Amino acid sequence: MKKPNQQPALHKVIMVGSGGVGKSALTLQFMYDEFVEDYEPTKADSYRKRVVLDGEEVQIDILDTAGQEDYAAIRDNYFRSGEGFLCVFSITEDDSFQATQEFREQILRVKNDENIPFLLVGNKSDLGEKRKVPLSEATGRATQWGVPYVETSAKTRANVDKVFYDLMREIRSRKMEDNKPGNSRGKDKSKRKKLKCVIL
Amino acid sequence: MGPPPIVTGVSPKEGPPGTRVTVRGEFLGKTASDLSGLTICGCDCLLSAEWKSPNKIIARSGPGKGKGEILVTTRSGGRGTSTVEFRGYHEMIGPMKESAVWVEEAPLRKMWWGRRGLTPTTYQHDDPLGISIEGVEQKFPEDGLHKLFPGGSGDLSSENFAAGWFLLERHHATPFDDLRAGLAFLRRKVDGQKEGQLSFIKSNVGSVMEQLDTLAHLKERFEEDVEKQGQDPTIRLEAAIKESMLEANKLFEDVLSRRERADATRSALAVLQRFRFLFGLPGAIEKNIKKGDYDAVINDYARVMNLFGNTEVPVFKKVLAEVESRIAQLRELLHHRLEDAPTTLEAQKKLIRNLVNLEVGGDPAWDAISCHSRHLAATMIQCRDTHLTQEQTALEEGGKTPKSSKSKGASSSNQNTDWQASVPARVLLTEELADTISERFPDFWKLGQAYFTGELQVKVVPGRQQDFKKLVLAGISLFSGLLRAALMPHTLVKTPAAERASYGVWHSRGMEGLGPWLPHCLRALRQGYSSLIRLDLPSEVLDIVASLIFDLRVHCMSTLMKQAGESIRNLHTQESWNIQFDGEHGGITHLPAECERVVAEALQLAKDSVLLADLRETPLLESNVVQRDLNNLILNMLLGFVEVLDKLALGSDAMAGDSLGASQMIGSPSIFRGSDSVMDKGRNKDKETGPAWEQRLLSVLSNIEYTKCVLLPRIADLFARYQLPAQTGPLAAVNKALAELDQRVLDAYLEQRSDPLVGTIEPSMYIGNFNWDTAVKPADVRPYVKELLTNLISVHSEVHSISPGLVWRVLPQLVETVAEELARLMVCLDRKFNVHGTEQACADIAAIREAVQVYSTPTAEAFFDEALEAVPRLSDTQGKKNVETVLNHFRSRMRLQLMCFRDPKGTRNPS
Repeated sequence: MKKPNQQPALHKVIMVGSGGVGKSALTLQFMYDEFVEDYEPTKADSYRKRVVLDGEEVQIDILDTAGQEDYAAIRDNYFRSGEGFLCVFSITEDDSFQATQEFREQILRVKNDENIPFLLVGNKSDLGEKRKVPLSEATGRATQWGVPYVETSAKTRANVDKVFYDLMREIRSRKMEDNKPGNSRGKDKSKRKKLKCVIL
Repeated sequence: MGPPPIVTGVSPKEGPPGTRVTVRGEFLGKTASDLSGLTICGCDCLLSAEWKSPNKIIARSGPGKGKGEILVTTRSGGRGTSTVEFRGYHEMIGPMKESAVWVEEAPLRKMWWGRRGLTPTTYQHDDPLGISIEGVEQKFPEDGLHKLFPGGSGDLSSENFAAGWFLLERHHATPFDDLRAGLAFLRRKVDGQKEGQLSFIKSNVGSVMEQLDTLAHLKERFEEDVEKQGQDPTIRLEAAIKESMLEANKLFEDVLSRRERADATRSALAVLQRFRFLFGLPGAIEKNIKKGDYDAVINDYARVMNLFGNTEVPVFKKVLAEVESRIAQLRELLHHRLEDAPTTLEAQKKLIRNLVNLEVGGDPAWDAISCHSRHLAATMIQCRDTHLTQEQTALEEGGKTPKSSKSKGASSSNQNTDWQASVPARVLLTEELADTISERFPDFWKLGQAYFTGELQVKVVPGRQQDFKKLVLAGISLFSGLLRAALMPHTLVKTPAAERASYGVWHSRGMEGLGPWLPHCLRALRQGYSSLIRLDLPSEVLDIVASLIFDLRVHCMSTLMKQAGESIRNLHTQESWNIQFDGEHGGITHLPAECERVVAEALQLAKDSVLLADLRETPLLESNVVQRDLNNLILNMLLGFVEVLDKLALGSDAMAGDSLGASQMIGSPSIFRGSDSVMDKGRNKDKETGPAWEQRLLSVLSNIEYTKCVLLPRIADLFARYQLPAQTGPLAAVNKALAELDQRVLDAYLEQRSDPLVGTIEPSMYIGNFNWDTAVKPADVRPYVKELLTNLISVHSEVHSISPGLVWRVLPQLVETVAEELARLMVCLDRKFNVHGTEQACADIAAIREAVQVYSTPTAEAFFDEALEAVPRLSDTQGKKNVETVLNHFRSRMRLQLMCFRDPKGTRNPS
């Protein structure tokens, strides 16, 4: 395959979430249709492939980060380069759900952007009988944040493509918004600032 | 060419050298061997690459530093591309640092022991600011640094060193105060170093000057050399070497030329030698052939063919033709020798090998085999012919000379005296054939084996196996056929006439006298057979011989038994009538013992030679037919003995002129016994045929009894001892025959004895014109009574003298007859008795009755009663008294005689 004249648009996605919630599993399932049974803590993995998003060829770059607290210090550096975030927790583990709050805050701090493309993802939906995080609680938090909530299963591949594509669409639309000159952006900025003020 | 590999994922995306990196993507090789290359950050990692699937490879990162592509190369897809990058960085690892990477300890330790000085502290990169950055995990992204300081570097030794980069890279997390302290430290260090350099030179100025001097001196010397030797000092050396080479060549030229000459001479000599060899070859061949050294001839021949086989020179060709003709002769000779009389196996093998080496056409080995087979057959046939003619001459001679002695020779003694001369030709034939087979056949067979195992270096023609088997079978069949024709012609009845004739027809007369030799023949045959068995022949072949042996054993057994039967039948000629007593069974002659001996001998022989199964032979008696035959033979044999007894007792020979007429007794009734014995003696003298017929009858009776009671059980014991099946059938039959014979002989004896006895009663009763009507008062029993008793006693003694047991079989019968006669006489008188006659008659009858009471039977008693009935009743007591008186008188006077009729204890046979 010859190098295309024009590099397709690159969307950088970052997987965040506590350890063992299935970030790598989701990534590998999306990338290679493969479900990895054995658990091996990730440090930082990088994936990139071409996909067709709504008829347009784009590149998705996935940075799969470490969930363990040991690596919390270096997260900032990674988060800085991300354009969209999949914040993953396991519906069978309440701690992981609680941790999402922390991740959300760190991302907002690093990106300094209320409207950064962000999806709250409840993984392991195939283990419904072990559910610890009620759907209502998860959706409640998502609405509070103003982000979509999707439940996935890396094992059954349920909604796996959906979360990645939805996020890419958001990233794309954000980029188009940013590139647009004029008031819309300024409006956004003011909005962002406004929100920031709320938090502060 | 498949699609090129593409790497789309890496885990982790950065790490120090040796990080275990999982590379993911597509088309990363169809199999592990398809993967031909893997570089991470420009470092070849193929060695550590572990191919998992076309989507996954696990490898360890190399020492590359910085960001780099991950490139996979496959045989099927070529060099691939990568969408992700791996960043290698070098971690500084101190003793305090936790590391995910395995630190190689071995080199470290080596350094430790090898040369001191590289302590861990010096090994560590010193931070120029003197601040430890250990434990600081956070790293400033390199991308950012590149953006911030384009073209810069954090490396202290780099030309493009950018202090900002360095600080951000190393100390972006260091507090400001620490940085200030670090700056002070750095300053101090720099000052110290400057100071240090100067002081170093100062303190060592002496040696520095010395070194400078030395350098100057060196330069001086070098320039001097250049002046002396010129710019290039090797020219002279080269010239010297060239010169020495020339000298050396000159030195060796001589030697080399001499060697060349020597070589030439040698090759010329070799050529001469070769020619001499060629020209001398015909003679040498002839000589060697004469010596029988065929190997040498073949060697020479092979050599000459090698040297001159393709020659074009006419002279050589001529000589070669000569050689060829010699060799052809040799071939002829060898072939001839091969087909000639068979030599030893080894010699034959050697001949065959020679022939093969001489490239004789055809198949010499096979020729040898078939020739051997032919020879074997011829030998056997010749052997047969020799002995056949020998027997014929013998028979013809036998016809001229007294033949009887020869044909009777089987059992007569003259066999022993000149048996050497009279060994039947057939026996000799058997021995010779068995020898032939055991000597020649193994060679033949081994030759065949050698042929098929390739020992003879001959290509085996397919189908030869079958032919060889046929030859072997034919040889053995011939062997078996010849022997059958000679020994057992009857087993060949079913074979086709032509085949039958080929085995030779022997005169049936020659069969006589063969019997005793059969076991011998069997032994010879078995020897041959055992030698065959050792050869590991196919079972078909062995079976032929086995069946021959089996038949011979059967034949031998039947012959043995027949012989025994015959000798038993001939026993009557040996009867000597010598009575021997043994305690239990009374007197017997030696015949039963003879019979037993013959039977025992026959069984012993049979057991020794026939019945015992040898190697690879079936026990004879397993076959039902054989067992039946054996039964018949034994029955025949034993019946033979019965016949002998019969002949002895009742044969016409025995009876001739030996009847005792009644008249003799009438004439001399009182000396009945004496006259009888006198007569007997006279006859004995006349004819010398032993005792009187009656005595012989008694002897036979006794023998029969003995045979029944003793001999047959003993023979049964014999069978048991020789482990033969119990012959209950034949023994029972013999028993029956014996019983019947016994009855007949007894009858004959009784008839013989009772006739005269009874016949004398009437004449003796009326002797002296006695009349029952006119009798006087009886004073004693009448003489006829006494005579009668005396006669009975004589019979009693005769029987008792031979076999006491017989008395009980004989006397009661006689008593019955006597009583019957007495009754008849009394009835005939029709009561013509006067008073005294009546008394007399009563007394007589009572006396007889009393005397023989022991042997009386109910029938006899009835007759006595009848006799008394015929006599008128005694009317008065006076008469009875008279009778009593007479009886008393009789008892006292005849006491001795009467005692004879008492029952002697123990003689009564309960049966």
